[in-house]
Amino acid sequence: MIQLFHVTKYFEGRIALTDISLRIEKGECVLLTGPSGAGKTTLLKLIFGSVPPDDGQILVQNRNIARLRRSDIPYHRRTMGFVLQDFKLLPHRTVFENVALPLIIRGLSIFESRRKVAEALRAVGMDHKQTARASVLSAGEQQRACIARAIVNTPIILLADEPTGNLDPQLTMEIADLFKSINAKGTTILMATHNRQVVEHMNGRLLRLDCGHLMADQGVYA
Amino acid sequence: MRRLWYFLREAFISIRTHRTGTFIGVLTTAFTLTSFGVFLLLYHNVNTLLGRIQHNIQIIVYPKDGLEPAKLDALGKLLKSDQVVDSLTSISKQQALEDFKQQFPQETHLLEGLPDNPFPASFVLSMAPTTPATDIMTQFVNRLQQHPDIERVRYNRDWIARLTLVVTYLQWGALIIGVILAIASMAIIANTVQLAFYTRQEEMEILRLIGATSLFISIPYLIEGALLGALGGGVAIGFLRSGFEVFTQKIESLHLMGSLSTTFEFFPLPFSLTLLAGGIVLGCLGTLATMLGWMKIR
Repeated sequence: MIQLFHVTKYFEGRIALTDISLRIEKGECVLLTGPSGAGKTTLLKLIFGSVPPDDGQILVQNRNIARLRRSDIPYHRRTMGFVLQDFKLLPHRTVFENVALPLIIRGLSIFESRRKVAEALRAVGMDHKQTARASVLSAGEQQRACIARAIVNTPIILLADEPTGNLDPQLTMEIADLFKSINAKGTTILMATHNRQVVEHMNGRLLRLDCGHLMADQGVYA
Repeated sequence: MRRLWYFLREAFISIRTHRTGTFIGVLTTAFTLTSFGVFLLLYHNVNTLLGRIQHNIQIIVYPKDGLEPAKLDALGKLLKSDQVVDSLTSISKQQALEDFKQQFPQETHLLEGLPDNPFPASFVLSMAPTTPATDIMTQFVNRLQQHPDIERVRYNRDWIARLTLVVTYLQWGALIIGVILAIASMAIIANTVQLAFYTRQEEMEILRLIGATSLFISIPYLIEGALLGALGGGVAIGFLRSGFEVFTQKIESLHLMGSLSTTFEFFPLPFSLTLLAGGIVLGCLGTLATMLGWMKIR
C-alpha cells in the first residue's frame, strides 16, 4: 500500500528525514511517534504529496509520488483523508458544507453527497450537528467534523497529524476510538502522535522517529 | 451543475466580503475603460466623418474632347463598374454650359464670340464610403489617368490624405493608450483579487488538502475578476453615454459647429459590447496574473 525506499528530505539545508525505508500494508494501523522535530509531519507530507523527496522513492498504491506531476497531486490526495491537529475547517460554513466539500470537488450529485455526508457524520456521531456552523463547535466536535470530512470519500488511506493534540484526555480517547473503528472497516491508518495513551489505546504498529532517522519499527505496541 | 453553483456562490461571497476592494476595482476598471472609450468614441466619430466626407468628395473625370458617343457611354459604364465608385453623374458639354450660365449669370459675356462650346463633358464620381485609404484612391486616379479616352482627372488629394492621417494617428493613439490603460487596469484587478487571495489563504489550503485542483480553487476568483471587469465595463459605458449626451447638448446649445454637431454619434452596439468584453477579459487576465505564481505551490 505504502512503500518508502531510502527517502531523504532536507528543509532549508537542514536534514528532516534520512534514508527512510518502510512498507505499510493495506488495512494496517501505524503510529508514528517521536519528539517534536523528529520528522513525523514531514513523513506524512511526503506521502500526501505536499513536498517532494530530495532522494529516494515513495510508492503509494503503486504510484510513485516522487515522479507525480503537479497536476496529478490533487487526484492522488482524493484517495486519502488527512486529519490535522488544528482541524482546518471553514469556520463560516456549516458542518454539512465542510464535510461535503471533498464531494463537490469530485463532482458528486447533491443526492449522493447528502447520503455520503449523512453516513460520515453518523460514523463520527455528529449527524445532529449538520446545520451548525463550524465556528460554534467545541474542539472535540470540530475534530469529529474534520474526521468526517476525511472519511466522506471512503479513502483507502487515512493520514492524521497529531489529531488529539488539542483535545482533553477524555476527548482524546473518543477520537482514538473513532480511528480504531475506521481502521476496523479496512482503512489503512498512519497517525503521527506523541500521546502515549493514544499509542497504547490504538494498539497498532509503532514507528519511532528521532532527528529524521527511523529508530524503531516495533510492530504492535506491547 | 453543482460545481457551477459552488463557483458562483464562492465568487459572490468573495465580492460581498471584500466590498471596498471590489468597489475600488470596479471604479478603476471603469475609469480605465472610460479613458479608452473616449479615444474609441473619437476614433469612431472621425472615421464616420471621414466616410461621409469621402462620400461627398467628387472625382471629376474629363474625357477627351470630341469622343464618340458610344465610347463616351462605354467609359461611363467602365467608371461606374469600379468598386470604389458609389455613383456617377454624366455631364454633357451642353449641360456644363447650361450649369455655367445658371451659376454665373453675370459672366456669360465671356462666352460671347467663341465659335464652339468651350466646356468639356465630364463624369462626376462619388466615392463609396468603404474606400477610406488614400492609397486606394490614388491608385484609382492613376489608373484613370492612363486611360486613352480620358483627358484629365481632378480630385482633392491633400484633404483626403490629411484626414486619413488623422484617423491613422487616432488609431495608433487609441492602441497605445489602450494598451497602457489595459495594463494598469489589469494590475488593479490583480491587486483586488490578490487581497481576496490573502484573506482566504487558509481556505485555499484546506481545499488543497482535500484534493481540489488549482483550477477548481481558481475558478471562483476568475469569475470574481470577470464580474469585476464586466461591472467596470458597464459603468464605463454608462459614463461614456452620459458624457457624450452632455457634450453633444453643450455643442448644440453653443451653436459652435452648426449642423456638424448632429453628425456626432455614440458607439454602435458592437463597440459597447466590445468594451464590456474588454472589461471581462481584463478582469480574467488580472486574476490569472495573480494566480500564476500561486499555482506553483503543491
